[in-house]
Amino acid sequence: MSVEEARREFVELLGEENVSWEPAVLDCYAWQPTFNDDPDRWVKRPVAVVLPSSTEEVQEVVRICNRHGLRFKSFSTGWGAWNGPTFDNVVQVDLRRMDRIVEIDAKNMYAVIEPYVNGAQLQAEAMKVGLNTHIIGAGPNCSPLASATSGWGVGHDSIYMSYSARNLLGVEWVLPDGEVLRLGTLGSSGEWFNGDGPGPSLRGIMRGSCGALSGLGIFTRCALKLYNWPGPPEMEIDGIMLDAKMEVPENIGYYMCFFPDRKAFSDAMYKLGEAEIAYNALATSFGGYFDILTPRLFRKIEHADSIRSMIVNTFKYTLAILFAANSARELAYQEKVLHAIVREHGGFAMDVTRIKDFFSMLFMSFVRATIPALVFRMGGSFSTALDRNDALDSQAAWREVVREIKEGYIRKGQILDDLADNPYFVPYENNTWCHCEVVYQYDPRDPKHREALEPIFLDVTIAAIERCMEPLFTSDPRVRRLISPLAGNFSKYQQAISRGLDPKQAADNTLYSAEADFDFSGIDPQRVRRLQEVVEQRRW
Amino acid sequence: MALQDYLRDMEGCSRCSSCKWVPFNQVKSWRFAKNCPSVTRHNLHAFSGSGKMIMGLSMVSGRSELNDTVTEIIYRCQLCGACDTACKVYRDDIDLMDVLLALRAHCVEQGQLIPEHMLTIDALKREDNVFGEPKARRGDWAEGLDVKDAVGEKPQVLFHAGCRYSYDPDLRETVRGAVRLLRSAGVDLGIAGADEACCGGRAFELGYQGESENFADDMVSRVKATGASVLVTACSDCYAAFNYLYPRMGKELGVELYHITQYLEKLAGEGRLRLRQRVPKLVTWHDPCHLGRKSEPFTGEWKGDKLLRPVTMKRTGKKGVYDAPRNVLKSIPGIELVEMERIKGYAWCCGAGGGVLEAFPEFAAWTAAERIEEALATGAEALVTSCPWCLRIFRDAVEETGALLEVYDLTELALVSAGEGVLAGGAAR
Repeated sequence: MSVEEARREFVELLGEENVSWEPAVLDCYAWQPTFNDDPDRWVKRPVAVVLPSSTEEVQEVVRICNRHGLRFKSFSTGWGAWNGPTFDNVVQVDLRRMDRIVEIDAKNMYAVIEPYVNGAQLQAEAMKVGLNTHIIGAGPNCSPLASATSGWGVGHDSIYMSYSARNLLGVEWVLPDGEVLRLGTLGSSGEWFNGDGPGPSLRGIMRGSCGALSGLGIFTRCALKLYNWPGPPEMEIDGIMLDAKMEVPENIGYYMCFFPDRKAFSDAMYKLGEAEIAYNALATSFGGYFDILTPRLFRKIEHADSIRSMIVNTFKYTLAILFAANSARELAYQEKVLHAIVREHGGFAMDVTRIKDFFSMLFMSFVRATIPALVFRMGGSFSTALDRNDALDSQAAWREVVREIKEGYIRKGQILDDLADNPYFVPYENNTWCHCEVVYQYDPRDPKHREALEPIFLDVTIAAIERCMEPLFTSDPRVRRLISPLAGNFSKYQQAISRGLDPKQAADNTLYSAEADFDFSGIDPQRVRRLQEVVEQRRW
Repeated sequence: MALQDYLRDMEGCSRCSSCKWVPFNQVKSWRFAKNCPSVTRHNLHAFSGSGKMIMGLSMVSGRSELNDTVTEIIYRCQLCGACDTACKVYRDDIDLMDVLLALRAHCVEQGQLIPEHMLTIDALKREDNVFGEPKARRGDWAEGLDVKDAVGEKPQVLFHAGCRYSYDPDLRETVRGAVRLLRSAGVDLGIAGADEACCGGRAFELGYQGESENFADDMVSRVKATGASVLVTACSDCYAAFNYLYPRMGKELGVELYHITQYLEKLAGEGRLRLRQRVPKLVTWHDPCHLGRKSEPFTGEWKGDKLLRPVTMKRTGKKGVYDAPRNVLKSIPGIELVEMERIKGYAWCCGAGGGVLEAFPEFAAWTAAERIEEALATGAEALVTSCPWCLRIFRDAVEETGALLEVYDLTELALVSAGEGVLAGGAAR
């Protein structure tokens, strides 16, 4: 291994200003506090950071890594601990110079993009031609290419546009040895419109369920399916977030629906999925809204049991739903269907468009997913280690399981009090399938909070396995070791794929195929025993 | 406050990169979605607001050291504050701008100095202006205007020109025009002439906070000595220093403070300034950083956990001066205002601020050229602003790039509309 020689070659390839090994600069890639349950919050410092601007340069970067026994780890926008290195000899490939929208094919409804195009940019351009793109719940600061090729992502719009991987068409993929592979029609005819053929389709290997998080190479371009957008081509909004003011666009409807109990809520959701009327949909909670809108007030009423109970129980089963219709007549139909379904299930629907300020504040939060990052306001950080995908009614039940777990930590002051009910709950695939990601907020600067991150993670993992539910965070090598034997030993297949495509193991593949043991030191032994017990019980 | 006093801010960074973008509600295109000149030009995360905070955290945590490379990254930044505005959409507990300022003060404390900035500071010490021009000639710009001497003749309104307007020969007509305009509205006006000095704002931004405080003390005593009850400045940098920085340093000027655009709006509102002549132009307005987000008033220092800080004490950039210049423009017959995509609190910087023009002129020019492109994309014939630093760099950029765009100070257009001047080649004569 020659780090020095590799650095020299990187400079030759990319120029001095696009390569650095200055310690403070590298630390900008090692500071990854979000979704990082290591109390230290620093990940491994890379040995260099490089900024390629083309597929050819990415190929050469990968080849240099192969030649010198280094690993590479790429990212697009770089938010979240999974973007950082996990080995000591990693070159961080920052793809931000690859930031072009290559093409928007309005007729065939797709866009070809590079890694550093973000959701807001693509949406703004797509809307100009009457189209829209799926934006993940994490927000429009994220790269649509990254979540589609390498990660995972549902959004407020999933009821209409499904999740990221579903929208992936042609793909350009730099393999871990530096070769380029073009998938789908791109591989056979140079056209982007289909990811699965004619031409090679390796979708399952390329990303599987959760994406390889750069563990199988680097994606340099991809085509994404776009959807109809009947709203205005440009949004006229005054203000930047909670102060936003706008007129209600034509043929847009927005309702908050309240249901009496879990069954009514779930049944109504199934019906709404069948009706195919919604553009965006999100189950909400009072805690979910008001901890981000009025975080200081929430800190004041922490642990006030009577207020908490009143609020939680009154607004427990709430759904926010947005319509974007092609005509006034279509909107009237959608609204009529909604009212009928809500009525049938004993609920009521509030027309948010009649409360203009509230509508203004929330509209872009839906259409562009701008609001979720406000979860920072309460404590400075948040985690969602409690997410999973499953049938909708199973998820409605899971939300309550997690609420109980959260309550315990809130009572002990180890996370902040958001009424324990703060799900990111979005239906997709006609509402037969649903993502439930229960958010909890904490102050990363508070050691007591940081120390709770791993125990929460373990508790939720135990709860999921106990209920034979879809496993959580399978990219975590510790979880992979635990649950792989419960799910067909998938880890062994991933390792075989990794060895096949990456003979020199140049990709930083920890989050794709590695296994590791939990560090149980400091964890309550009873909890550890329970985990081992449930894993043993559920093993195939 | 020292760099380590901002530890909670720095370690609060989640690395979400919102600081690199226009607030997402306002992203209108691929082309003009980015807000930070520094990281847009240089690309490494270290150049972003987040990156600079993480470098600060790294150094305070003993993981890395301040050296020439890190110093240059810290200073390749206009301190325009767009990152701070974007960050605060989502965060209540991080004052990114304060961290950037603390990083520069840290560089100066550690002797990591930028040579060009040392020249500026020497010039300030020697001649009371950032250019090192003779102090005695500071009032030359007003020659022949027959304007009151603020020190001896006790005017009601003290007009403060600022360093750039005082010494830049190309911009003198602009500030002379401003005086003519105010006098035509019957304002009892005086200037300090050779007794005017730098506001000290630039020294503060370069990290020389002690020097800045000396200038602030000096300014306060000079203003008090004039007996004026109103201070009007044509310079956005000076306005931000007076409105934000001085109160932050605990200095009170003891006068009613106006930027020229605010004062023109007031005069027009009172019927004292009559803008009657048509100026048939399609124009776009550039919000200077120091007039906009950076002039937001100081709201006091919060001790303790910023998560519990009242929102009224959080500086968000929303309370900058945005409406006054637009209102003046709209009151000029014939002017049609078309907005750029990045405006108000999330406007793209002109490129000249934070010592970049002095130390890294090519980066300053690149930043200005970006703004010129954005202005051209609106279809406007003219770019209008109200800051001598913006004006200077935009005029240079237009000349350099050959862009077909006129560049005006707002007062130039107002002067023409008031019947006191004519437009010629991008400047009133």
